[in-house]
Amino acid sequence: MKRTSARLSQYLFLALFLVLFVATEYRGSDQLWAAVNAFFRADPLVAVSYLLATRSWSWLIFPGILLLLCSLLLGRFFCGWICPLGTLLDLVTGRIRKRGAVRFLAGNFRFWLLGGLLAAALLGVNLVGLFDPLALLVRGLTLFLYPLFGDAVRQGWVGLYRLLGDGRDLLAPGYALLRDYLLPFRETFYPLALTSVLLLFGVFALEATESRAWCRRLCPLGTLLGIAARFSLVRREPAGLCADCGACRQLCPTSFDRELLQQEECILCLDCQLHCAQQRVRFHLVRPAATDGAWLPERRALLGGMVGGVLLVGGLRFRVPEAKARLLRPPGVRDEGEFLRKCVRCGECMKVCLKNALYPAVFQAGAAGLFTPIVLPRLGYCEYNCTLCGQVCPTAAIPNLPVAQKRREVIGRAVFDKNHCLPFARKVNCIVCEEHCPIPQKAIRAETVSEIDAQGKSILLREPFVVDELCNGCGICEHVCPLEGKAGIEVFAVQDHTPPLLPERRSAPAEATVDPYR
Amino acid sequence: MRRRTFLKLAGLASLYPTPLLAATPAREPSVVGVAEGKDHAQVTRTALTLIGGMRRFVKPGDVVVVKPNMGWDRTPEQAANTNPLVVRAVVEEALAAGAKKVKVFDRTCNDERRCYVNSGIAEALRGMKNVEVKQIEPERYRKVPLNGAVLKEWELYGEALTANVFINVPVAKHHGLTRLTLGLKNVMGVMGGNRGSIHKNIDQALADINSVLKSHLTVIDATRVLTANGPQGGDLADVRKFNKVIVSADIVAADAFATTLFGLQPADIGVTVAAHRRGLGELNLDKVRIVRG
Repeated sequence: MKRTSARLSQYLFLALFLVLFVATEYRGSDQLWAAVNAFFRADPLVAVSYLLATRSWSWLIFPGILLLLCSLLLGRFFCGWICPLGTLLDLVTGRIRKRGAVRFLAGNFRFWLLGGLLAAALLGVNLVGLFDPLALLVRGLTLFLYPLFGDAVRQGWVGLYRLLGDGRDLLAPGYALLRDYLLPFRETFYPLALTSVLLLFGVFALEATESRAWCRRLCPLGTLLGIAARFSLVRREPAGLCADCGACRQLCPTSFDRELLQQEECILCLDCQLHCAQQRVRFHLVRPAATDGAWLPERRALLGGMVGGVLLVGGLRFRVPEAKARLLRPPGVRDEGEFLRKCVRCGECMKVCLKNALYPAVFQAGAAGLFTPIVLPRLGYCEYNCTLCGQVCPTAAIPNLPVAQKRREVIGRAVFDKNHCLPFARKVNCIVCEEHCPIPQKAIRAETVSEIDAQGKSILLREPFVVDELCNGCGICEHVCPLEGKAGIEVFAVQDHTPPLLPERRSAPAEATVDPYR
Repeated sequence: MRRRTFLKLAGLASLYPTPLLAATPAREPSVVGVAEGKDHAQVTRTALTLIGGMRRFVKPGDVVVVKPNMGWDRTPEQAANTNPLVVRAVVEEALAAGAKKVKVFDRTCNDERRCYVNSGIAEALRGMKNVEVKQIEPERYRKVPLNGAVLKEWELYGEALTANVFINVPVAKHHGLTRLTLGLKNVMGVMGGNRGSIHKNIDQALADINSVLKSHLTVIDATRVLTANGPQGGDLADVRKFNKVIVSADIVAADAFATTLFGLQPADIGVTVAAHRRGLGELNLDKVRIVRG
């Protein structure tokens, strides 16, 4: 790649993207200074689908709308100057032999895809995140590549311990730097890890057909920006290939497989201008002029896509009620429908989750919920004083709440299974769950009862029970339950996510002045 | 300072390893130092002096482990973790006694990063030379044969096992299962594996662990304590200020004395009783020399 302003900008934004990605993790402060959500907030596709799906305004998507307006004036500069996925494609494409465009994709398929996604969003099923290029990239990194990287380094570090024993301590300061500033805190193995990385790999594999094949032929964000670019005031002069040269055909990453520059495919890399032997090519601003009126010539594709979207939404409604009982959403999510309308499936909440409570849904949330975050308490629990998932969510699908409010947000409710729970099933003491329950006034309590144990001895036993009004379903009880396999206490989803009653409205007058959640 | 000299001698005498005497019922009584005051760092230092000072335990060049309780994502005033001032004072004393290195760690219950930060302990020890405040690294666990009453073997933390001196610095507080958690229970923080599973027989299991991983010195932080809803607390209404630090080379005697602060008898705590029966220390406070300062 050559050193041009566009390239420099690409590298800077890729670096920014990676820095923000690594910064999307708890590193000692309750409030993150920045997160990779910034890229999603500036993502016009996220913004448009948010508007369609929720039919409400949020200032969170303002940068995305702003970028869309800029694209109306300037064209697809995002793709050639900012998009980190595009930059990565540019970095590898030179090493991939091209086999020519796939006919199936060379047509109007991208309009079908975009139309379908937007129509589904309008009907309240926001699937944009599945194909958004930034979401594809962050998911591939979060769910697979970053944990893999962390695990490889950590295994090396552990291997050094086996080799050197405590002598490894000499190297500890160097490793501490890596661990504190670069590595994921703990490596989590996610469901759909392979799927997410294969999707990302697929984007790169398309480079074997033509350069920037994903960006030209599929990317719904690129397609949206392409439609905006038709109005762009930045025009190339000359618009077509020159009869005596035609070098642009080789230089152009996207458009010049035809005679005329396709305004909606031009990513403004400006390579043609830089390398024009005759110095003929230049890009300049033009006055807004009446065009030939064919702004949306793919009417059929867009409409067809929309019908497809409607059919898709109908087809994705299936869900089994048993799965719903275990559908635990991150703290602060109260309405499943609203959540699905807003969630971008970027995976940032899963990356940032302190105790790795969040995992991408495979089938638990129905087909429409693929890659959306769910809490799996047996694997991780929601840390009482942590608000990170809300902080990084780009669209506030998980609301960013003050810690005092987040503590009382109901994820679900814990229920004992007396057939498993040790004091009931085996007549032995345990109450690890009571010990870990973070509610200061204890949503899990224990009472002392006289029992006859398995040997026929009379013993005093601590039997736990859940105080429903206090339980917020954080899941630490299920997580720490020492039983192997199935826990003796489990968190189930609830219909009513109203935060537990404030003490002044509770019946016990003695506790009236004490907030049980502080 | 003749009184102090005498006390130092008394403390020294109690620590003298007497395998011959140990077999006979007539051994030197355990000494428990109890200091009280508002300045918790000073109280800690005073308490240590009462039993003869840190130099009785830490020799120049020693690697010392200071094991506080910092298991919970709670702030210092919520009293779920050891007072950072107490921890720092113990670490300073160990360094002053010539320790080559002081390692401070705990296997936490909540997220380790948050616990280390919000307990205030990482901050209190920040920048101290020859002090390591490190999170647990699982590869350092070692399976150790215990041959105890209920635990045959368990994974214990390597750095705790290899240290020359293990200083146990628990916070005294309420506990739903064992009623109180003190020095003997604080040792759970060096256990690997599914340690929740020992709860079914916790008195005996803790005696098993403490028989193998001996605390050379126990410093109980009772400066501010949780009197209910322990071990995690969170409600300041449950916190009381005792302003005391209890130190002893005899972990059972230290626990026994701390128990009395809560209005309980040493024999009320099953963990302490089991440890005493195992010969890990003296339960009967009438047989213990209590030195106040």
